[in-house]
Amino acid sequence: MTRSQMFEAVKANIERIVEEAAGREITESTSMVDLGADSLQIVEVVSRSIKELRLKVPRTELASAQTVKDLLDLFERSAQQPAAR
Amino acid sequence: MGVVTPIGDTIETFWTSLVSGRSGIGRWKRPIDERCYARIGGDLSDFDLAAHLGRQPRYAPHLVKRCLSLMRASPLVPKLVAAAALQAYHDAGLPGFRDAGRIGHVMAGHNVNAGYIVQNVLTFHQSDPDYIEPLFGLLCLDTDVLAASSELLSLSGPSFTVGGACASGNMAILAALDLLRAGRAGAMLVSGAPIELEPVALHGWTMLEALSYQSFNDAPERASRPFDALREGFVPSECAGAVVLEPLDGARARGARIHAELLGAATTSDACRLTRPDLDGQVRAIQLALDDARVDAVDVDYINAHATSTRLGDAVEASAITRVLGERARRIPVNATKSMIGHCLSAAGVVEAIATVLQLTHGIVHPTINQEQSDPEIDLDVVPNRARHAAVSLALSNSFGFGGLNSSIVLGRFDA
Repeated sequence: MTRSQMFEAVKANIERIVEEAAGREITESTSMVDLGADSLQIVEVVSRSIKELRLKVPRTELASAQTVKDLLDLFERSAQQPAAR
Repeated sequence: MGVVTPIGDTIETFWTSLVSGRSGIGRWKRPIDERCYARIGGDLSDFDLAAHLGRQPRYAPHLVKRCLSLMRASPLVPKLVAAAALQAYHDAGLPGFRDAGRIGHVMAGHNVNAGYIVQNVLTFHQSDPDYIEPLFGLLCLDTDVLAASSELLSLSGPSFTVGGACASGNMAILAALDLLRAGRAGAMLVSGAPIELEPVALHGWTMLEALSYQSFNDAPERASRPFDALREGFVPSECAGAVVLEPLDGARARGARIHAELLGAATTSDACRLTRPDLDGQVRAIQLALDDARVDAVDVDYINAHATSTRLGDAVEASAITRVLGERARRIPVNATKSMIGHCLSAAGVVEAIATVLQLTHGIVHPTINQEQSDPEIDLDVVPNRARHAAVSLALSNSFGFGGLNSSIVLGRFDA
């Protein structure tokens, strides 16, 4: 799986879940907090992305991800681990 | 008032179906494990909230948008309750209510998100714990159903859920009545949430011999047959209902549309955790409700029975009604809405209160359908199979829940 594919999954979830993002451009430097997402929306975007990409990501490391780039870096590191069932 | 049922998702369509004796019971639409004994019910799993909202022309677009946004990740029951609550909110003219901080919300229901919980438990074990629904921790709660509709309608008065098993609906009405009498709120939305049906609970109720599963699987619309000699158990279903309660002075002052008067309510316990109905407990609840309403049994001219289509339950209730009303019990209509909509469990009391109000308003009593063989133990006029005109003005609506939880409410026709 490529970083680009991971980005598309995250972007699609942001657009679907974070209504405040309507019309805004989503890039790797995007911060969901800056878009106006609340804490539940962020949990949803991240968790649905992880599930769709069949990744296993340590929850403790998620807290430090501020931007989409941070999230994708974390996803890429996790993709090198054995996938979940 | 507002309803979502297998026989209509508006008050108008619900009433038309009731009068015509239409059954909402069929085979399951949702996939149910083949090993589950239960095969039939009133299944709302295919409820399309967006389509339903699209058919309500008077809803403000911002409310429709807010509703769909709030319900985006939600399971079935919050959607049903929101749909019913929106109807009641508009019907009661609440958008114009002066002090929204004084409108509270009491929701009848517990274990309502059972299907959602079972699905996520399976995902946890069969797939991966991290793959459960992201918002499961919040959405699994009964209170989320309450809170989502409260946010939708900006209700900030006293708000909580009420649990009373199959009597939850009446209990919620009673709780709201008490809050209003105590001056804690200026108006109360009372919603009734069903339990999202799933195979484990259904199988469990069948194992208790409470649920119909033997004779009517090939003719589901005949299965719910309260009072009939061939009855063999309740038929589960999903319905949601909502009513707005308000003190008469306030409702009149703001020109609200008044459907009926809630005159009183009562609840008793049998101090027994079993499913067995108790004659004395039911009699007490009915009598206390009449006392609370300050009316006499002799003035009651219609009863909406709990009547779930179980052998024992229907018989005991018939005896309780006879005990309280005496001779009069045989001469007034006593019907069972559950014959058409099945048993919507925690929502039943609210939906059946609505059915009662509609009958008071229209002067027509709906039938108890599926009356094919009368039971000599049931000496009541159950309005068999066909609706008829009846200028009824004082009604009882009973609900008796597992665990000996008895309740009755008294409703009066409102003549403006």
